[in-house]
Amino acid sequence: METKDKIIVKGVSFFYGRNRVLDNIHAIFSKHTITAITGPSGQGKSTLLGLFNRMWDDVPGARCTGEIRIRLGDRWVSPLKNDIPMPLLRRKVAMIFQEPNPLPMSIAGNMAFPLKLAGVRDKSIIEEKVQKALAQAFLWEEVKDRMEKSALDLSGGQKQRLCIARALVLEPEVLLCDEPTSSLDSKAAGIIEDFLVGLKTSCTLLVVSHYMDQMRRIADKVMALQEHGLSQI
Amino acid sequence: MHAVAEKAVVVFSWAMTIVLCLCVSIFLGYLLIHGLPSLGRDLIFGAADPLRVLLGRARVFDGLFPAIMGTLFLVILSASLAVPVGVCSGIYLAEYAGAGMKKFSGLLFDILAGIPSIVIGLFGFSLAVFLHNHLDNRFGPCLLISSLSLAVLVLPYIVRSTQTSLEELPDGIRRTAIALGANKLQNIAYVLIPNALSGISSGIILAIGRCAEDTAVILLTGVVAVAGVPSSLLSQYEALPFYIYYISNQYTNPGELSGGYGACLILLGVCAFLFMSAYGVKKHLSHRTLYRA
Repeated sequence: METKDKIIVKGVSFFYGRNRVLDNIHAIFSKHTITAITGPSGQGKSTLLGLFNRMWDDVPGARCTGEIRIRLGDRWVSPLKNDIPMPLLRRKVAMIFQEPNPLPMSIAGNMAFPLKLAGVRDKSIIEEKVQKALAQAFLWEEVKDRMEKSALDLSGGQKQRLCIARALVLEPEVLLCDEPTSSLDSKAAGIIEDFLVGLKTSCTLLVVSHYMDQMRRIADKVMALQEHGLSQI
Repeated sequence: MHAVAEKAVVVFSWAMTIVLCLCVSIFLGYLLIHGLPSLGRDLIFGAADPLRVLLGRARVFDGLFPAIMGTLFLVILSASLAVPVGVCSGIYLAEYAGAGMKKFSGLLFDILAGIPSIVIGLFGFSLAVFLHNHLDNRFGPCLLISSLSLAVLVLPYIVRSTQTSLEELPDGIRRTAIALGANKLQNIAYVLIPNALSGISSGIILAIGRCAEDTAVILLTGVVAVAGVPSSLLSQYEALPFYIYYISNQYTNPGELSGGYGACLILLGVCAFLFMSAYGVKKHLSHRTLYRA
């Protein structure tokens, strides 16, 4: 294990019931980089992302074998061995979905929600973290005067930036992005791309994408998930 | 040919909707024509002074006030018993139960939903007799037994509406809080229930309507023609549906029958009041629960 390594995947296979979705995956993802993962539909790209924060845990019949190691702070953890509490893992390994999914509450409510889940009660800390995360997402100037308005009234691109900012408010070390721009127009997608590139300094990013030009623009490394496994291209 | 068929379906659907609206209008109009003349202070309070009655200083012997209060008590008590149990069961079935348990309990709740209300009433009556014989001879058919029986009657609506509303939530909402580090209970409490509240409260409103109108259950479990406003859970009571049933069978002159129609209008009013209250609670609750985070 080298000091620049952030995530190490060794011989990981994933099953839904008897169906093998991922077969013997090996990979290493470095700190403060963006790795784009591409491949044909149905090969398990989203499933692979979900392994890092165990989003499949509540899926009946789902099973994973092999080893995943993630360096969080100074410590290596193995999510598959359950050696880190699940809420903590998901706060440090955050996830962004294809469709923006703001909760049906105010913008401020959405942003404060993960902090309150994590037990943060101090209003000044919450306000500070919320403002910082929204500024990182280039969203603060656009929403600062309507923080109490519903998040559902934002545009598609703003919603997605809000969702990323909501994940960032917990200061994650790894950000998993599952086709984060696929439901957006090119202008909104461009803003998200710039935003993701800017996050490299604080996070390690794994981005599933179908757009080769996008991957070339933002990624340090592009990997393809195909039948025989995950390989760099 | 397709265009003709489509037009025919549209015309038929339109016609059926008009027929239905006409039926409801005729029904309401008929009730209003026959009931409105009798509606008034006398129908509700009889010869008693309304203020003294409302302050609890006088009893009503020849008006509907005790029946109105009995119906309200009955509905509130039944809903208080059925809602917590029903909602918790629905949450369990939607979020925690395995496939086998879901199938088994789903079958049981469907059977319960299909049981005629008179059978539930008989069960309530048997329970009252059992309690009278084995626990305390103060027990008998009473407000509490009626409320318990009605709660059993409406439980399946609440369980099913809660379960379905939770299960139908899209994956996007379901996994949002999980991905942000919420545990299962936090996800249920902060995200799933507030988002399913509309469906859950629809089930509760349906249940309230059923509690207010059902006659068969209360007929066997505690309602009587004259009892006054119930003074305790173990008292017998009067109720509007029973009054309507009783008067339509036993009326001796057109004036009494007109009073029965008036009672129908009051029952509709009570139901409307309960529905609106439930709707108000739903709106207030969803706003508070959704925005508290």
